[in-house]
Amino acid sequence: MFLAADEDEAEIVASAADFLADAMPIQRLHAEPPRPDMDPDLRQKVAELGWFGLSAPETLGGSGLSAVEHVLFFREVGRNCGPVDMLAQSLGLLTAADDAKLAARILSGETGVALAVEQGERLRILGDPSASVALAARPDGAQLLDISGLAAETRPPLDPTTSMRLVETARATRLAGVSGGDVWRMGQLGTAAMLVGLAETALDLIVEYAKIRETFGRKIGSYQAVRHPAADMALRAEAARSQLWYAAAATKEGKADAQAHTDAAKHLANIAGVTNADWNIQLHGGIGITEEHDAHLLLKHALLLVKLFGSKRPLLASLLHARLED
Amino acid sequence: MDLTYSDEDRAFRARARAWLRDNVPAERRPVSGPAAAVFDRAWQRKLFEHGWAGVAWPKDYGGLGLSSLQQIIWFEELARAKAPHHNNTSYVALMHAGPTLIARGTEAQKAYYLPRILSGEDLWCQGFSEPNAGSDLASLKTRGVIDGDHIVVTGSKTWTTDAQYADVQELLIRTDPASERHKGLTWLICDMRTPGIDIRPIRTMLQDDHVNTVFYDEVRIPLANVVGEVGRGWSTALTTLSFERGLGFIGDQLDLYEKVGRVIELAQRVKLEDGRLAIEDDAIAQRLASLKADTMAIRAMTLAHITESDRSGEPGPKGSLMKLLVTATHKALSEVVADILGWDFLEFDGDRAAYPWTFDYLWSWVFTIAGGTSEIQREITADRLLELPRAR
Repeated sequence: MFLAADEDEAEIVASAADFLADAMPIQRLHAEPPRPDMDPDLRQKVAELGWFGLSAPETLGGSGLSAVEHVLFFREVGRNCGPVDMLAQSLGLLTAADDAKLAARILSGETGVALAVEQGERLRILGDPSASVALAARPDGAQLLDISGLAAETRPPLDPTTSMRLVETARATRLAGVSGGDVWRMGQLGTAAMLVGLAETALDLIVEYAKIRETFGRKIGSYQAVRHPAADMALRAEAARSQLWYAAAATKEGKADAQAHTDAAKHLANIAGVTNADWNIQLHGGIGITEEHDAHLLLKHALLLVKLFGSKRPLLASLLHARLED
Repeated sequence: MDLTYSDEDRAFRARARAWLRDNVPAERRPVSGPAAAVFDRAWQRKLFEHGWAGVAWPKDYGGLGLSSLQQIIWFEELARAKAPHHNNTSYVALMHAGPTLIARGTEAQKAYYLPRILSGEDLWCQGFSEPNAGSDLASLKTRGVIDGDHIVVTGSKTWTTDAQYADVQELLIRTDPASERHKGLTWLICDMRTPGIDIRPIRTMLQDDHVNTVFYDEVRIPLANVVGEVGRGWSTALTTLSFERGLGFIGDQLDLYEKVGRVIELAQRVKLEDGRLAIEDDAIAQRLASLKADTMAIRAMTLAHITESDRSGEPGPKGSLMKLLVTATHKALSEVVADILGWDFLEFDGDRAAYPWTFDYLWSWVFTIAGGTSEIQREITADRLLELPRAR
């Protein structure tokens, strides 16, 4: 029993943090024009370092690591407001398990994978316009759809990390798929991890600012009106992170209650991500609502992530009667 | 990261579960009063005699010398078995005083007091807060004057839980009259039968008198009872508080998960005023599921905390986060019960056994105030974890 990153795991965290700070820092979203998604160049770069295959089996060319390394990596992605297609690419590889050629193209970054969310007759596609494949995941299975050349209606995204477009569901053809809940679970863990990283970044930003910003001749970090909400932010992040570690370890070890722990982790991460991003803006005051600040980016990204792989209602419905092991 | 229990851990859990199944007292713990203390002593005595007392305490002093993880497993099994746990009159002895003595006591103090705690012979109470020093503990004024080989104590302490049943008290006083704040304090072991001690119960909103004000009129305490050094009592007190905030509430933490399950069962049998079962109300069902997730996180935080404190060798500042979450969850759960029970919730005569849910609701404020209010826990978090500029 050891519920923290061990030495090997901490090494993965450190190299992920280094890579992401360089390859896709949050500042990219303030550029003119902003740089959403993973464009083909960035996709290639991420692929070369093997990040897409981190938790994929070695038979697919992956590193054969587990849900634990998966959440450690995507927590770092979340800290940088990383785009959703980064997760889609990793999950796409797992979904292409029965199609070696497709799997190889996804692993190498040659084929881009976007995330597809079903909305009635249409699919909302999240990710780079160059992606020719979309991943549609459900709790009981996942499939890869060919979306190349489909007429798409571009929609303006609130969250500048991720492009959005709508296509007709009927026109997307199935390329590959897997049954069972594994891909969905890894999607839940990945988005929960991104929200945890985001919640921690929101806390870091306000703590840093509260140490330098002065009002009424005092640092704002000395006012209880700032200190107490900041302490609550720390609590939300701590609770969500601890549960995420538990869920990832339970998944790695194939525990019977891993799904329930993952549902709880996603629920707590949803709350921590949005609520911490909200407080970060409020406690910054006026500067917090400006475009040049990162605070609004965290909030908008959190709002997108909570919609993916389980939002409040279905998560709570499945948690209510879930049974846990020891 | 792993959740794998070793063979020894699993065997320990199986043994604990089997023993508890056969040995949890069939009779209900008396709600309060002297009978409750008699019950708690008997239960502790039984644990001691069957080799379950002081799971992580050193063997030399009667403990089992096992790991902190096994200590947690023991608490989990107590909660599962609905056994009397440590939030009773044994609490201060087992969760504060004992660990403080293990960390800071002299050999003689450890050899005398620790076995008496484990066997249920000595119940302890805490003498830290004063009428004018609660959240601001360092402003305490109860004074001690050294006279030969004794310290003579005069003053008062308050919010002293179960003082009327305790044999011994952890007493924090000011021994240097010229000192201020954290300096010049001394941590003493006070025998509650020493002449000059007057205990006056305080009636609470729970219609009980579990807390007291204790007055000291020239109470003579041997210098040999100083834990740590004379004048350095703050340091010893911080050790005590770190145990309280670290694992002091662990019994309640693990109990909460079981309690959410009991409330879900309650919601499956109780009808709301509109005739539907409470569980069919979306708002109630969502709140219960969300609280279940909180209790799962509490357990995960407990395990993560153990990992971190085993690594660093000390409890660290995250105990304050734990206390904030545990006490808020406890209160929110009571609030859901209020909505489930409707008018029945408004019936109460102080009898904890007859009206457990209303009692539990009123107890919420004991949780969010005792052992450092939620506001103080946020201050500690801001100071020690976030390292923000000081407010005070």
